[in-house]
Amino acid sequence: MTQRSPSQTIGPFFHLGLRWRDGGKVAFSTRGDRVVLAGRIVDGAGKPVGDALVETWQAPPKGAKGAARGKSNPFGFGRVETGKDGRFRIETSMPAGDVPAIDVAIFARGLLKPLRTRVYLAPREKVEADPQMKPLAGSKRLETLIARHSGGAEYRWDVRLQGDGETVFFAT
Amino acid sequence: MNDMARPGAIDPPYLYPDYLSTRLRSPKEALVELPAGAFDVPGPLVPKGFVRKGDNDLTIHGKRAPLGEKMILVGRVTDEGGRPVRNSLVEIWQANASGRYHHPGDNHDAPLDPNFKGIGRTFTDGEGRYRFITIKPGSYPWRNHPFAWRPQHIHFSLLGNAPVQRLVTQMYFPGDPLLAIDPVYQSIPDAKARERLICTQHLQTGIEMIALGYRFDIVLAGAASTPMGL
Repeated sequence: MTQRSPSQTIGPFFHLGLRWRDGGKVAFSTRGDRVVLAGRIVDGAGKPVGDALVETWQAPPKGAKGAARGKSNPFGFGRVETGKDGRFRIETSMPAGDVPAIDVAIFARGLLKPLRTRVYLAPREKVEADPQMKPLAGSKRLETLIARHSGGAEYRWDVRLQGDGETVFFAT
Repeated sequence: MNDMARPGAIDPPYLYPDYLSTRLRSPKEALVELPAGAFDVPGPLVPKGFVRKGDNDLTIHGKRAPLGEKMILVGRVTDEGGRPVRNSLVEIWQANASGRYHHPGDNHDAPLDPNFKGIGRTFTDGEGRYRFITIKPGSYPWRNHPFAWRPQHIHFSLLGNAPVQRLVTQMYFPGDPLLAIDPVYQSIPDAKARERLICTQHLQTGIEMIALGYRFDIVLAGAASTPMGL
């Protein structure tokens, strides 16, 4: 076994190298039901994190292929930066399956390695039933992984990096 | 309660107080362990047309050659088992020779170079190899602590062939005296792991009378599942 190369922060100027055209419009071979995931990232003082990069990866919608080379960006993969107000917005499709979820990685200045989390587009009872969420069964913190359906295709999901209401992050 | 004391860690902890920005951005709650393999799924796969000819040469996009020391940077991307990470996206960004980023947020009082944007991308080949042509970035001051200067570095982003392989890191240069005072570099707990982020000078990789050669190999996590056809 060779040893892995360690992670370093993405820094404040990643927009240069990592900004993708239409990175926030996730495409698939078949479109399925539209989902708009919008939210805001704040730090331990409740201040917006205005220089984060949010990457998403998810199952395709019903009837679409899995990992596949897309037309302009890879199918199933989203990449957006937060604005100065800490807000981000991703247009995607509803993942297939009983408990639809989107895996999220957050990179930022001050994060020496990404934070890994997940947002469920399903009600709590269904999320509780996901065997992967067993470590959080009955925990109030599970709520931090569930988006609020705000009508139509819109889902709202806020992220708190530190402190009261801190979002659940996963070990990797 | 976080990952400060994890023994044998390769990556830095979230909280590293000497790097001030970690103080309010590091989680305080324990990270939640998911069942093994929860993230070990294949993809994403970047379309071939995503990288265009010339995207791996950062020196040809202005009217003239950029200022600075021209360098050829080559390396190989493998996983922990020594297998090449094939046909996988590598993106880099960096400051110019004066230590200034072509970025509206960079207000360091050093000149921009109209002939250098500092952005490159390429795919690894069938052996996991990549190649960039660029110039050596300058050091620059930052506000972390009095007289703080970042060592010369190039930012690297690797998509790998599965989410568990995703890596964002920085490449440093051999013998840089600023490494000793850089909290970003020093946040990596293991000295050997730190050294893996330092490229090696390799004259024969360069171009005689034109560019100095460097090598920088990168090792990503092993993935149980990589997409078909790789």
